[in-house]
Amino acid sequence: MPAVDFENMIALFQYPFMQRALIGGIVTGLTGGLLGSLTVVRQLSFFSDALGHSTMLGISIGIVCGLSPSVVVLPFALLFALGFNYLIEKTDLWTDALLNLIYSSSLAISVIVLSLSGTYQGNLNSLLFGDILALQPSDLIVDGALLVACALFMGLTLRTQMLMTLHEPLAIARGVNIKAHRNAFMVLLSLVVATSIKAIGVLLVGAFIVIPACAARALSRDFTSYVLLSAGLGALSAAVGMLASAAFNLPSGPSIVVAQLLLFLGATAFPSTKAFLVERHF
Amino acid sequence: MSVMSPQSLPLPSANSVLEIDRLSVRRDRRPVLQDVSFSLSAGTDVAIVGPNGAGKSTLVQAILGILPCEEGQVKLLGQTLANGQIPSAIRDQVAYLPQNFLVDRRIPLTVSELVSLGWDKLGLQFPWARAKARRLAVRSALERVGASKLASRFISDLSGGQTKRVLLAYCLVRSRQLLILDEAPAGLDVRGEADFYQLLYELKAEQGWTILQISHDLDMVRRHCDRVICLNRRLLCQGVPETTLAPENLSATYGSEFVRYRHHH
Repeated sequence: MPAVDFENMIALFQYPFMQRALIGGIVTGLTGGLLGSLTVVRQLSFFSDALGHSTMLGISIGIVCGLSPSVVVLPFALLFALGFNYLIEKTDLWTDALLNLIYSSSLAISVIVLSLSGTYQGNLNSLLFGDILALQPSDLIVDGALLVACALFMGLTLRTQMLMTLHEPLAIARGVNIKAHRNAFMVLLSLVVATSIKAIGVLLVGAFIVIPACAARALSRDFTSYVLLSAGLGALSAAVGMLASAAFNLPSGPSIVVAQLLLFLGATAFPSTKAFLVERHF
Repeated sequence: MSVMSPQSLPLPSANSVLEIDRLSVRRDRRPVLQDVSFSLSAGTDVAIVGPNGAGKSTLVQAILGILPCEEGQVKLLGQTLANGQIPSAIRDQVAYLPQNFLVDRRIPLTVSELVSLGWDKLGLQFPWARAKARRLAVRSALERVGASKLASRFISDLSGGQTKRVLLAYCLVRSRQLLILDEAPAGLDVRGEADFYQLLYELKAEQGWTILQISHDLDMVRRHCDRVICLNRRLLCQGVPETTLAPENLSATYGSEFVRYRHHH
């Protein structure tokens, strides 16, 4: 591994594309960690992964039709989330089996569509691994708007989400509209996954949702701190990953995921750090 | 014999907490409850007994507005429920403890957080809204049930008896009128069950709760409950436990083999 060239690293962050990448990474890390906290405890981790893979079909169709992937991916992700919820309610199939069915067939169709269009090789790499350095100001605005929407949703409904996550019948008896809450959460999660694909790619997008939440689970002492810590670790790992990527000239998206992994391993290996990191709420 | 037809039921009194009138409920298009009528006076403790599949949990779900009524009506605290919609002011007066409180042990929710959810109105609100009042109410409820030391423990770390104690704090944390318990002490040993009922009835006396509980424990019903309702798809009989739980009524509810079994054991 080459030696760290701090001057070069600082010079790199003078470029607007690096600044956008850093901001985009932190915002995506915050949003992913925030929604990831609920995704993990509701055992929907595979959903975010499958959604990421499935959106490849929407992007491929967009490329073939000459449309911007960003325009196609959002409605496609929404369609996926609502379609998945519909199939879960209408069929007696297991969640993971149904997700596997949808995402593997979406992947197969998208590769066929791309190969027929003759743009197979060039686009596939950026689709799979994303390119955070290519983020535009408009992408940051969309990411920022989604962060605000997710923060409001989580902030305003956190206590309802807690009861729903713990015990659905107890929440139903309290008048909580489980279906509406579930759909709203799925829609937000789909939008976050879809908008993150440009920066992180379909293969790694699940990591932004799942790994910070797993690290936060190992460190947290209550549910509220778990949610906040998950968002915080998402942002921290994005910043650390981007700095490491600049310092060692490594690919940015994978560097962030490796930073998330190291945070998770640290959190799991040193549970005694809990006492220093998390304040008691009661 | 104390079997009464639904038509001969006493008229609901002015202080009725719950009035069920000719209620019929379907589940998956199949009729589960037919023509059930009864009422609960304030401060009473009423048990619903009946075999598995008799529609006991369905009845509770209809009262809570989870399942729609096919026919008849439910009147909760003087308010008739339209299409299962319960106004939040009425719903806040009712606490429900489900049959099984099985939770995923990996969910990092503490005892304090669970009890505080009983205090919340669960509308759109930021978590820090009225945090101080919530914290005081939670502390007081946990103290009352003797679970203060458990406050920062995860729910998943509790024993069965501790969980039931904490669930009673969840009911107690806000002033309520009606408690609906669906086989609440299920899973507890004899000592745990005795402790649970002792605490429940202490709290009932203090809070003036009206209790509607589904139970399979006929001895408990005889010891504690003011009235019992025998249910098997229809309301078969109701009255004070001493007379209502007579062998002929139990035969009508559970089948004659059940009564022979109890007689021999």
